[in-house]
Amino acid sequence: MPRRALAAAVVALVLPLSACGSGGDDSGSTDASGKVEGDITFQTWNLRANFKPYFEGLVADFEKKYPGTNVKWVDQPAEGYADKISADAAGGTLPDVVNVSPDLVAPLAKAGLALDLDKAAAKYKKEYLPGAWASHEIPGMEGTYAFPWYLNTGPLFYNKSLFKEAGLDASKPPKTYGELFDDALELADKSDGKVATLANVPTIEDFGRYGVELMNKEGTAFAFNDTKGVELLTKYKELYDAKALDSQALTATPESSGKKFLTGAVAMNPGSALDLGNFKKQAPNLYKNIGITDQITSTGKVNMYVMGVMVNARTKQKPAAVAFAHFVTDAQNQMSFAKKVAIFPSTAGSLDDPYFTEEDGTDETRVRIAAAKSLKNAVNYTPVLFSEQMKTELRNNVAKALQGKVSPEEALDNAVKACDRLLQQQG
Amino acid sequence: MPSSSGTASPGKVSAGRASVVTLPTGDGDGNDGGARSVAAVARVRRQLPTSPWLFAAPGLLVVGIFILYPFVSTVVNAFTDRRTLIPGEFVGLANFRELLHDEMFWIGLRNSTLYVLGVVPALVLLPLLLALLVQKNIPGIAFFRSAFYTPVVASIVVVGLIWVWLLDERGLVNSLLEAVGVGRIGFLSDQWLLLLSAMTVTVWKGLGYYMIIYLAAFANVPRELHEAAAVDGAGAIRRFLTVTVPAVRSTMVLVGALSSVAAFKVFSEVYLMAGPDGGPAGEDTTLVMLVQRTGTGLTGRVGYASAISVVVFVVTVALMLLVLRADRKEDA
Repeated sequence: MPRRALAAAVVALVLPLSACGSGGDDSGSTDASGKVEGDITFQTWNLRANFKPYFEGLVADFEKKYPGTNVKWVDQPAEGYADKISADAAGGTLPDVVNVSPDLVAPLAKAGLALDLDKAAAKYKKEYLPGAWASHEIPGMEGTYAFPWYLNTGPLFYNKSLFKEAGLDASKPPKTYGELFDDALELADKSDGKVATLANVPTIEDFGRYGVELMNKEGTAFAFNDTKGVELLTKYKELYDAKALDSQALTATPESSGKKFLTGAVAMNPGSALDLGNFKKQAPNLYKNIGITDQITSTGKVNMYVMGVMVNARTKQKPAAVAFAHFVTDAQNQMSFAKKVAIFPSTAGSLDDPYFTEEDGTDETRVRIAAAKSLKNAVNYTPVLFSEQMKTELRNNVAKALQGKVSPEEALDNAVKACDRLLQQQG
Repeated sequence: MPSSSGTASPGKVSAGRASVVTLPTGDGDGNDGGARSVAAVARVRRQLPTSPWLFAAPGLLVVGIFILYPFVSTVVNAFTDRRTLIPGEFVGLANFRELLHDEMFWIGLRNSTLYVLGVVPALVLLPLLLALLVQKNIPGIAFFRSAFYTPVVASIVVVGLIWVWLLDERGLVNSLLEAVGVGRIGFLSDQWLLLLSAMTVTVWKGLGYYMIIYLAAFANVPRELHEAAAVDGAGAIRRFLTVTVPAVRSTMVLVGALSSVAAFKVFSEVYLMAGPDGGPAGEDTTLVMLVQRTGTGLTGRVGYASAISVVVFVVTVALMLLVLRADRKEDA
């Protein structure tokens, strides 16, 4: 019967599909003991283009060390990486070992998809910097859900000639937020508002470096609407009104503000040692006048970014996946990766290597050494529970305050309220 | 006459089928062939009801997997609190109730509606005028037709980036404005100018596409009507208003329907020009941008984003019906 056949076809079609992405809470065992063997998949985040030989060598070394293992390396583009992981996680196709950042680990751990390494790989804990190991802990949950991989922090670049034109001492760039605000207002005033000092609105990291308490200790509610938070936003509003903050800052992305710095429209911009090469190539005049200083901080601690390597809790090859995740992040392999690109190892003692302590007269080395030094007491100011949606809420409310539509206090109250609501909805 | 086969009765069709089946068995053995042909007819008759479904199966499968399933799934999800990694539970109309109190939803609805109001009249009228300009067969006209069509085939990302460069505070347009003494204008920093700039890009990119549709419609306007109007002393403008416009009115309605649906669902232009947050303080967010922002990522609220999608679907269907109804009224 055609109707029955059609109905059967539809049921047959819909039933298996409806199972897709149903998630579940079976996080499986955390026992990773046993023979290291079998096929595993390792996913990185936009690293193939520049580091293909390094990762191919890494995989070959691991397979040689553990005969009977086979690692399939896949790389995903930077754009939409979280969406790719979302699709894989929802579809049950998450790779066995995945390159993640702490904010990506949090929802995966809550869904029971990230292996608790405090249980499955506790023996490796002492190999890493304590702060780095703790960076993948999730408030409200027991355990650590990814091996710390490379750390990064960036210096702040500034345009010496713009500083000089404004009558500022180019050899004494601002170090604290107070100094930054004074210099920025001076620069805007002397250039008749043509030169802004910054091109971005304050981010959650800025609130952290200013000394604002971002969340309560239990990690159950945000708290950046305190007196200090309001003070920071009020000062930014003053900068915006004086054109010390670029007029397009409200819609800026890191890329667009980087371009503003390249063209001399803004005087300061955060970056990394990698940027020096770009300045040399794309803006030789700027490169001649480039100043390098530490991140602005009023807490004495700079912000660091942490990358992690997570093990899929539902992998069928737990011993091999844990062994490989550890292998990628061990001291020797992190050090060899750090020598290929401007990143810093998260393993204990690695930052004392002469590579991170001895000057050779080049700017690249100077930036590397300064960054390595500041990393020793750096903090990852981005709360791991701070999702993309929350970042948008903060940016939008900050923008409203800068435009004068609401007071800084009201804007931060609204942002905290919205972020708390999203936090509760995350479960 | 073509109509004779079209009016064939079921009996005739059966007879026809029988004769078609019998033909290959005409090998001289009449009785045997007759028996086999009867069996064959019976077999074909048995198979006929299911065989169309077999032919349609691949298409049905594709439609089912890629169109029906996502659509049904979106509607079902709209009534749940599903998140990316958590299946969620049935919450009834809670998502729709939340929408009523969500400031961003109303901003999105306002911007998507403004987009329809700003873009659709331009996309109905400007391509019509452009088509009038390029319909004549004069030397070199093919170049202009191709030139006007070029934005249609250009990637929207590239188009967006080029317009961002042009309209940037230090871009070409602002440099020219400053040179003539007007001063720099915040095309990409002011909420309303940003929306207007995005609308301009949408119109610029769509002109060539709708121009081609109008050119095809012009080809069907009887030349005699123009000649008769000319004989009666009608000038070019009068001929356009009394002959061309009425003749392509259905095409204008089609263009209006297509462009209003596309405008209400706008995403790329605003996303590229206003940034992922939807402009300053998110004031330029459109409904589809809100769906993307709310429903994606590891912490995406799939249920809530689906509820917004359902609203977008209902409004687009309503827009289509409104345009088509207006067309029918004018016909009556």
